[in-house]
Amino acid sequence: MEIISKISKGTKMDQIYIPKNRQGLEPGTYVKIIPIEEKTIERSYFYNIKELEPIKLEIVNKIFSIIKNLTKYNNIIIAGSLLDKGFNFKDIDVLLINEEKINEKNVEKILESRLKIPIHLIHMTQKELKKALMIDPIWRIMLNKSISYKRIPPLPKTNLNYKYLDAQMIKSNLLIENSECLTGNEKYKLTRNLIAIYLFVKQKHLSKENIEREIEEKFNIESEELKNNIIDEKFIKKYKKFYKKFEKEIIKNAAKQEKAN
Amino acid sequence: MPQNRKKLIDLFIGHISEAVSHEILIRSTENKEIASHYKKELENLLDRSKKYREKINPKNSSLPEKDIDYIKTKIIIKVKTELKKRISLGYKNIDLGLIEILVDKFLKEAKIS
Repeated sequence: MEIISKISKGTKMDQIYIPKNRQGLEPGTYVKIIPIEEKTIERSYFYNIKELEPIKLEIVNKIFSIIKNLTKYNNIIIAGSLLDKGFNFKDIDVLLINEEKINEKNVEKILESRLKIPIHLIHMTQKELKKALMIDPIWRIMLNKSISYKRIPPLPKTNLNYKYLDAQMIKSNLLIENSECLTGNEKYKLTRNLIAIYLFVKQKHLSKENIEREIEEKFNIESEELKNNIIDEKFIKKYKKFYKKFEKEIIKNAAKQEKAN
Repeated sequence: MPQNRKKLIDLFIGHISEAVSHEILIRSTENKEIASHYKKELENLLDRSKKYREKINPKNSSLPEKDIDYIKTKIIIKVKTELKKRISLGYKNIDLGLIEILVDKFLKEAKIS
């Protein structure tokens, strides 16, 4: 295991900082410090990840390594449930930023065959990613918690395209019509989708924590209870009332935008 | 039809209706290329609808004509209601002609017809 880092000047002692998210080199391990030639240091960028299981870090580094040797790229970003605590992910979301067209399915296949884990690969140009971040709250949430090979530029300003938001919101209507038959996780995802769009429209910061806090405030239910399907009629009533009111607002604003265009 | 089977069919109808409405609305925006990058959500809707389909008899062949007609009609009515509400308020570029095309496509993928 090798980590490259710089010596920082301290008051009484100088120090070397190393990332908490690393494989091996546990606190208490004796290490040898030797000078090396200054060169461009390649280090991944972690966004809002306090802790990551070492084996997941290994998977991430392997994904970066495979893609680097396979195709051109401007950036490689890993997002999604892999980065949540535990091992409840069904696949790994990989975002490949590249100006040239690539064979997504081929890259996906190669990653899956090498890692033996389902991969969901999305290819975008830099321009497409910027547009997605401007209009789609789901993309902003994805990148809010991610690991990227190169630094991700600051988030662009939001651009409220109400018709687009309406299209994304419509699936959350399923919770009203089919609540008895949906699993807890499905209910949680539909609620999360609705609240993400709500926070986006209200220009609030999008993060998993903010969304879950808003779910608790609006519907008086914790996300864990929702995921475990511990809900009652009161939740469905509150959800329906909120959905219908917010839907009205979205459609009204979408129609206004259509007339203005 | 037995209550449980009807419930499964209604669930199936609900999911396909939302998938069709979502798809037509997205196509009417200028942001098709962005939404297509996150078609995982549409795939999830369709995958869930297929799970309900797998519980509806007959499982390994098309459903009876009567059931296909019922399902198709219900989906078309639901989607038309959602989209016409929006058109009446001023939405543009919504292609209602796509409804039947997408419904047929999704029903075929789900082995309903």
